Amino acid sequence: MSEKQSLAHKLWKTFSSVATGIVLLILVVIASAAGTFVLQRPITEPEQMQRAYSPATLRWLDATQLTDVFHSWWFVALLSLLCINIVLASIERFPGVWRYFSRPYRRPDAHFLTGLPLHAEIPVRSTQSGVAAAERAFRRLGMKPQHVGGDGNFSLYAERHRFARLAAYVVHLSLLLILGGGIVDAVWGYRGYMSLTLDGQSSEIDMRDGTKKPIPFTVRCEGAGQENYADGSPRRWWSRLTVLENGREVQRKEIEVNEPLVHRGLRFFQSGYGSTGEVGSIRLLAVSKKTPADSREIVLHPNETVALDAEHSVQFTAFVPDMVINGGRIESRSDQPNNPAIQLSVASKQAGESKMWLFANYPDFSHPSALPYDFKFQDLAMGYFTGLQVSYEPGQWAVWAGCIVMGIGLVMAFYFVHIRYWAVPVDDGRGRLMLWVGAAASKNREQFEECFRKLVKEIEQELQANATEERHTKSVSLVNA
Amino acid sequence: MARASADSQPVSSGNLLTVLVSLAVVFLLFTAFLGAVKSGDVYTEQNLLYAALILYGAATALYLGFGVTGIPRYVHVASIATALGFLFNTLAVGHRWYISGHPPFSSIYEMLLCFVWTLAALTIFVERRYHVQVIGTVTMPLATLSVILIQLLPSAVRPLVPALQSTWLHIHVSLAMLAYAACAVSFALAMMFLIQDRIRTETFLAATSAFLVSVYIGIASRFDPSGGLRLIAWDAQGKQEIFFTEKARLMVVIPELGWMFFLVLAAVLAPLVFYFWARLNKVESAMIWANRAFFVGALLQVVGLSAFILRAREGVYHSPQVEGTFATSLAASPFILAGLIGGLFASALYLLLLWRRPDLERMLPAEETLDVLTYKTIGIAFPLLTLMIAAGAYWANRTWGSYWSWDPKETWALITWLVYAGYLHMRITRGWRGRRAAYFAIIGFAVVLFTFFGVTYLLPGLHAYA
Repeated sequence: MSEKQSLAHKLWKTFSSVATGIVLLILVVIASAAGTFVLQRPITEPEQMQRAYSPATLRWLDATQLTDVFHSWWFVALLSLLCINIVLASIERFPGVWRYFSRPYRRPDAHFLTGLPLHAEIPVRSTQSGVAAAERAFRRLGMKPQHVGGDGNFSLYAERHRFARLAAYVVHLSLLLILGGGIVDAVWGYRGYMSLTLDGQSSEIDMRDGTKKPIPFTVRCEGAGQENYADGSPRRWWSRLTVLENGREVQRKEIEVNEPLVHRGLRFFQSGYGSTGEVGSIRLLAVSKKTPADSREIVLHPNETVALDAEHSVQFTAFVPDMVINGGRIESRSDQPNNPAIQLSVASKQAGESKMWLFANYPDFSHPSALPYDFKFQDLAMGYFTGLQVSYEPGQWAVWAGCIVMGIGLVMAFYFVHIRYWAVPVDDGRGRLMLWVGAAASKNREQFEECFRKLVKEIEQELQANATEERHTKSVSLVNA
Repeated sequence: MARASADSQPVSSGNLLTVLVSLAVVFLLFTAFLGAVKSGDVYTEQNLLYAALILYGAATALYLGFGVTGIPRYVHVASIATALGFLFNTLAVGHRWYISGHPPFSSIYEMLLCFVWTLAALTIFVERRYHVQVIGTVTMPLATLSVILIQLLPSAVRPLVPALQSTWLHIHVSLAMLAYAACAVSFALAMMFLIQDRIRTETFLAATSAFLVSVYIGIASRFDPSGGLRLIAWDAQGKQEIFFTEKARLMVVIPELGWMFFLVLAAVLAPLVFYFWARLNKVESAMIWANRAFFVGALLQVVGLSAFILRAREGVYHSPQVEGTFATSLAASPFILAGLIGGLFASALYLLLLWRRPDLERMLPAEETLDVLTYKTIGIAFPLLTLMIAAGAYWANRTWGSYWSWDPKETWALITWLVYAGYLHMRITRGWRGRRAAYFAIIGFAVVLFTFFGVTYLLPGLHAYA
């Protein structure tokens, strides 16, 4: 029974010790460093992995999960152990610290008086005058002294920044908040992508693994664009988004790169903008061959048909954004409208259907045809899409709260010191009355010693002033007598 | 009388170096000024930075001169040079800010500029406030090297890409620079502590030499029978290594560099041989020779590094595997570069420890004060590091929708934070003081250096802007 207890006790001791914490810290450091040197799985393409490592090495790396360190079970286990260590170490040490709050040590005993490293004894005439002088000195240094003990046997106690004792707990609590938030996000959070054409809408997001995840509302893109610097590099991307729930508009926002839209905890980030390679619409000039002055402008969307007159109609049948002739076939080099080619199909009630190509970069090129119209290319509007990064991170608020708490905790830890002062009238053992003045600081002792010397000097000065005053009063009373 | 003459002698030679350095500074500034006047623009950032470089360089020379000779006057003049250099540095930062219209934090060039500025500011502060007069001996060479590095980097003011247009980014980067500069100062103070603490340097010599030998044996494994050094060919456009077959990387040979590194290997091996000679035969004089050999080795390392950087940075070389010439790049040999710089860093640390103690002691506060100061500087650096990481996470969250993605820079920032957290725990709960704490502070700064430079140049990641 006792052996079991001692085993539990040993375990507790081990897991709550700072040494264990340091070892875990070192292991986390080593694991994290490994995760930056070994190529990591989801980011690196499989082909690149195979090129970088031999098959045997890769098998070994995969087996130990070194190719995805930060999501491996052992890294999570390491972090969990660190959390447990922090919690246990805090529990272990907390009662000692809590004493400063529950039972502030206001009246030191004889043992304490001799053992305190920082103390001084100042001879005084009476308990009253000595304590009064100390009180004035305390107040002058900005302390609020308390009277401890009954009449005839009272002493002074003053303290400052008692909360600084809790700094380590505040910091560790904030660490748990941050890690907790991180865990919540790792388990319940997700990230995906949504690509919308202008005027397009969607209510599902593309996940990393290729699946689609439905969301409980619809996002519609009302417009998007890119603004450039003079040198052509992008300055700003933006998208005007509308959120629809059951067909009703509930939110509208123009997002840009550092300014996401948030709805129901889902955040939509501007992450890309570009040409879809599809054409939005083209503008043509149809010139009548008989009366060249009679020309009209027509706007065509893909596959749209427009009647030219009672006999003829024109349809926009195909579009090639960056045309190149390759082995007699028409192909597109890219999705960018560098050399757009437009195929039109003109239907005539008498002659039937005939197809023709127009080239935006060569407006004078025209097919010889029997048709009564010439078509002149004017202008085209490409179809654009806006790429939205979507993320759901319910735990992020814990993380931010943790960051703020940690900031407060660190300021408490480094820039506030719990200091305590005592002033106790004592007998020095030879019948002389002394004022024992002692002080203790939670850290930064070297600097604190100076403060203490200053306090002692203040008290001595007070006592001297007191003495002169007393003498003065005495002499005055003598004169009066 | 004899004593007086002995005292006066070093003072006169003290004047000599001061005068020489001052003349060099005036000459360099004057030629730079003439060049600037010729080109028409005097108050450009380049010129201001050049002036700062000259002054920082002068300060470095004087501080190092003090390390060798122990003449106090050098330190006073070096301090003035530092202050003047800081003035020019401030002007350069202000100029760039004014021209670009945003705080200079958007590229590694601008960040280095701010790092140097903060470092110089903190140096002056610690020097005046805490009377650590020779702190510049560690921080000024660092500042000088950083300014030289700045000159090598592309400096054009580029417009900010959308992801960088955020106040949070500015907060993040300025906190980073403040934190890193504070780390640099804590490192300098830890070094000062070790000097003041009169540690035995022999073990350091052995450890540093062993490290250097292992680094150069690693590099020598790339030796080509023709006397050159084999490096991986680099595709500058695709920013990747060139593959010869599916698995084999294409190598190019830089002629003569192989011999060069063999020479350096021999030079760094020599102190180790002398050390063991001294230990086994109890010959004290062999230790002196070991130190001299170490100094020669350090100089050769500088030559080796310069040759490597100059020849591998640009240029095309023949490949032994296929006909034709191919380009290589520093990016293709990250480990060699890291080894060379790491080796030089370690050597510099050792050489610092060799300084004349009695002269330095007078210029430094007591050991305990230095120890406490190191702790206090880390007490400044650590909250800054924390806030830096938090601000970076917040910015990433607003830009990419994720506050933590384990990219190498983030991970290494976390590692830096953990190392300093370890230092604080050991110090506060285990009472680590003195040497062990100083070693910890030095390791912490080495990690900072790796996070700042190593990750940017050696490891790929999201922080591509930096």
